[in-house]
Amino acid sequence: MSTEATTRPRVVRPAEPSKIRATVGAIVLVLVVIAAGRFSNAAWGNLSDLLTDGWKYFYLMVKGVMQNPFSDPYSGYWTEAVKGMLESISMAWIGTMIGAVLSVPLGFLAARNVAHPVVVQVTRVFLNIVRTIPELIFAIILLLPIFGFGPNAGALALGVGAIGTLGKLTAEALEGIDPGPVEAARAAGASHGAILRWTYWSQVLPEVLAFWLYRFEINIRASAILGVIGAGGIGAVLNQAFRYREWDYIGILLFVIIVVTVLVDTISGAVRHRIIAGTGVTDRDIVTEPVGL
Amino acid sequence: MTVASAVPTAAVRPRKPAPSRGLIVGLVVAVLITAWAAWQIDFTLAPLFTDFANGWVVVEQFLHPHWSFLTDSWDAWVETVSIAIIASFFGVGLGLVLAYMASSVTNRDARLYRATKWFLSVLRSLPDVAYVLIFVAIVGVGSLAGMLALFVFNIGIAAKLTSETIDAVDPGPLEAADASGAGTFSRARWAVQPQILPNFLSYALYVFELNIRASVVIGYAGGGGIGHLIQVQFARFNYENVSALVISMFLVVLVIDQLSQYLRRRLV
Repeated sequence: MSTEATTRPRVVRPAEPSKIRATVGAIVLVLVVIAAGRFSNAAWGNLSDLLTDGWKYFYLMVKGVMQNPFSDPYSGYWTEAVKGMLESISMAWIGTMIGAVLSVPLGFLAARNVAHPVVVQVTRVFLNIVRTIPELIFAIILLLPIFGFGPNAGALALGVGAIGTLGKLTAEALEGIDPGPVEAARAAGASHGAILRWTYWSQVLPEVLAFWLYRFEINIRASAILGVIGAGGIGAVLNQAFRYREWDYIGILLFVIIVVTVLVDTISGAVRHRIIAGTGVTDRDIVTEPVGL
Repeated sequence: MTVASAVPTAAVRPRKPAPSRGLIVGLVVAVLITAWAAWQIDFTLAPLFTDFANGWVVVEQFLHPHWSFLTDSWDAWVETVSIAIIASFFGVGLGLVLAYMASSVTNRDARLYRATKWFLSVLRSLPDVAYVLIFVAIVGVGSLAGMLALFVFNIGIAAKLTSETIDAVDPGPLEAADASGAGTFSRARWAVQPQILPNFLSYALYVFELNIRASVVIGYAGGGGIGHLIQVQFARFNYENVSALVISMFLVVLVIDQLSQYLRRRLV
């Protein structure tokens, strides 16, 4: 019996599937990474600074946050940080509003079950182009020459950037609606506009609201980026602080960014959950299909 | 008969329900926030009408891209792609480890799980440009700073997306692994990893794509690559060159976007 037990499974066990493809893939990947390391012109020697200077600066930043916030230079730092952050949030909000308002008609035009196929294709191409161009490029090309430096240009750049993703998501939501109410409205003799308003729009509204909130979260991070090219907000303050290497100030600024971002994400996540709870779409459905983190 | 049909229909129709209080409060709050935000940043569209001519001079230069400049941008493009490759490779690799630690499926130590989640949300809350500024200050201007910044940035994204996928795996193989007495490591390796691998690879491609997109910002803040070149040309008012670079940027992003979409469809 003991011989049976040892020999039988060996016969039954199927041959292991070939691993050649995975192995070749891994080797190619490693070679590509090594080549990238050579072509990147990185000053690899400076990597050791990370351990020496990195800790030193980190210590200085933490020390800045730990100081009494009402003592002399620090109270000014905190006020500046909060002021910059409020400006960034305002930019993000206005940007989201611009994107939201403009993306709704475009979303309808890009939905296959609403508009004519030719219109759908044209709108989709437009939305894709907007989606691929980073906000920074919008800010550089179109807005700074006309609107000058400042948060106004930044908000517009965020708004234009938001149109692409919001339009696409709105169109996809519209394509996924239940056709029942549409047929009912049509049977009752509703006009085209009434059908769009009361059957299409009512069904997607919660989802679309959740997309807007999600975009607002993304815009808060993006608004900090725009500060580097001179579009105001906390990014501009941060850039300034780095220029003079004031590590305690930098620490306070980063602390404010982290706290406010986590706070806004939590609040907007909770609101998003409440809005969407009734429609059977879970929060995960929105977040795991990343559209531009 | 006409009178009889007209009167009942008007009477039968139910009254329109009043809008809910929550809706009204929500709308008022939204309007107030918008007004306050607009006031904060002095929002105006007026320059579009008054200063359009000034801007148009620049836009006109953008409309005549200086194509021959693209040959000079080759090295910067190689640098950008190299930065993106290295940052995605290492960032996503470390992200995978942290993803296992940030999912209650694979990490049964409640405190370590919470700590990892908290750490990741802090890591994600800073924008990429903040990391560039930090690393430029530490290791100096150049592609190393850009690489390190994107590396840290990628860890957060990859770990978040992957840990959410781990949360949703089929529990069957996990039970099988537990029943056969597998430890934490082999449990993750043999019961979870095969299930999440396609999604994980697709996230890796997505992260790579994001890195190419972010290269403008990275270079602008001192992290090397194509963004640095754009910044230099912009500062010298060579808008024709900037225009050519931006268009090449757009094309590269589009090609990588399509390529990775194709690969992702095959993977998942």
